[in-house]
Amino acid sequence: MEYKYAKVMVVDDNEIDLYVAEVVMRNTKFAEQVICVKSGKEALDYLRPLYSDPGEIPQFIFLDINMPEMTGFEFLVEYQQLPENIRSKCIIMMLTTSLNEDDRLKAERNEFVRRFLNKPLDRDKLSLC
Amino acid sequence: MENPIHNALLEQIKHKSDKLMNYFLISFYICGLLLAFFYDTWLIAVGVGSLSLMAYYSTKWLLPASNAYQYVLSVVFGIFMAQYIYQMHGLFEMHFIAFIGSAILVTYQNWKLQIPLALLVVVHHASFGYLQYIGYGNVYFTQLPYMTLQTFIIHGILATVVFFICGLWGYQLNKLNRRLIKQTYEMGRFQEEQLQKKVLERSNDELRKSNKELDSFVYSVSHDLRAPLSSVLGVVGLCETATEDPFMLKNVGLIKTSIKKLDGFIIDILDYSRNSRMEVTNCEIHFNELLSEVSNNLKFMGNEEQRKVSIRTIVNNGDPFYSDKSRLSIILNNLISNGMRYQNPQAPDPFVEVEVNVSKSAASIRVKDNGVGIDKENHEKVFRMFYRVSNKSIGSGLGLYIVKEAVVKLNGTISLTSEVGKGTEFSIQIPNIWNTSMPR
Repeated sequence: MEYKYAKVMVVDDNEIDLYVAEVVMRNTKFAEQVICVKSGKEALDYLRPLYSDPGEIPQFIFLDINMPEMTGFEFLVEYQQLPENIRSKCIIMMLTTSLNEDDRLKAERNEFVRRFLNKPLDRDKLSLC
Repeated sequence: MENPIHNALLEQIKHKSDKLMNYFLISFYICGLLLAFFYDTWLIAVGVGSLSLMAYYSTKWLLPASNAYQYVLSVVFGIFMAQYIYQMHGLFEMHFIAFIGSAILVTYQNWKLQIPLALLVVVHHASFGYLQYIGYGNVYFTQLPYMTLQTFIIHGILATVVFFICGLWGYQLNKLNRRLIKQTYEMGRFQEEQLQKKVLERSNDELRKSNKELDSFVYSVSHDLRAPLSSVLGVVGLCETATEDPFMLKNVGLIKTSIKKLDGFIIDILDYSRNSRMEVTNCEIHFNELLSEVSNNLKFMGNEEQRKVSIRTIVNNGDPFYSDKSRLSIILNNLISNGMRYQNPQAPDPFVEVEVNVSKSAASIRVKDNGVGIDKENHEKVFRMFYRVSNKSIGSGLGLYIVKEAVVKLNGTISLTSEVGKGTEFSIQIPNIWNTSMPR
């Protein structure tokens, strides 16, 4: 069975959630390569150099909201500063435990965010992507 | 305006004036005695003077609460005038004593006190003047050999003017005093109100602040509690997919159920807290969207059994509907999930049907299922906090309580009809706040 996507990034400060996401994605053959980063800053550092190497840009970014230092929404603001060729290749999914209606609306209003998913990530939720 | 301060001040004026009267009356009495030297009128000076004083003090003593003694005083001043005129055999200047009496009475600040004095003067002048002119013996009114009508009228007018002016001053003083007292009183009250307002505003601010803090506290606590739970749920999900062993699958399933139950509790508490603290917002509600959001979410969260329940929605969207989206979502979420949970195993086609009819004034929402139903005796109780119908109930016992609280916050009503084994139907009316306030 072929992998659905070549490369997917998960941004979450919780290591267990990163691990769960990685395993689920591998088990379901969702992504061939799962990049796990523990903060928004790390994610930006990873993405920035890729404008010269667009083939390596992840097709999906699963983004947590509640993270220390840089929240998911703060990441989105920084993300907007990235070069156009990176942004056009990425689809961002919010992946959070938040049930807050405001968070959901805010996420859905953002042009880069496609969906707002609640943790934990599982097969059914991945099939929406 | 009558109030304690006012009465106390009037009482003070009266008391002070009464004290002054003692000196005046004694002076009047002594004056009579002095005048007795001229024409040897001792009997009159002592007799009439004593009778006058007795009249005054006995009234004051007998009727301490009333103001009658003041009117007696007014008469007494008139009688002293008459007494002096007689004692001095009609000496013209003795007539002025009436004016002194009139002026003294101003201190009581009551214009009516002028009346007995004025009346007595009129009666005295008329009778004594007449008696003297018809030549009645031993009557002394004036030393003038005769008095023209013109003089008499001028005399009368002047006296009237004096009484009138003294009465006016009394009246004016009284009015001014009342106004001052009222102003003082109101000023005091105003200051007190300002102070109370300030205190109230401050405690309001504090309350608002602590409410906000509590809200964000509940929010972070519930998030912090739910985050590890969802991590556990994720890992449990991994275990589930990693094994075929029925024993392991059963155990993992139990863990999963427990975690979901715990998560449900936290979500209920979160909903409750948000409903009780957040202000009602106002935005346009698209029921189709809202219902599909809610049912999709529930399908995800539910277990195998619950996913079998079909959720049917009928929305008759006549007019735009404005209300609080998050509360409506709480209401629908709880009612639909109850319908999914308490399905009837005997029913071949478990369903939850939601029908919404929107009008200009309200939305009427009907949530109907063919589940196990609720016994009639529990129809009231299910809305109580932490009430659970039976030990088969899955959940915190908060769901319908929160629904009711949220409906109340939206000024709506909720009722239910149900029959055991047939199903349950909730009817809700939520007012449309479209007319009253349009959104920004």
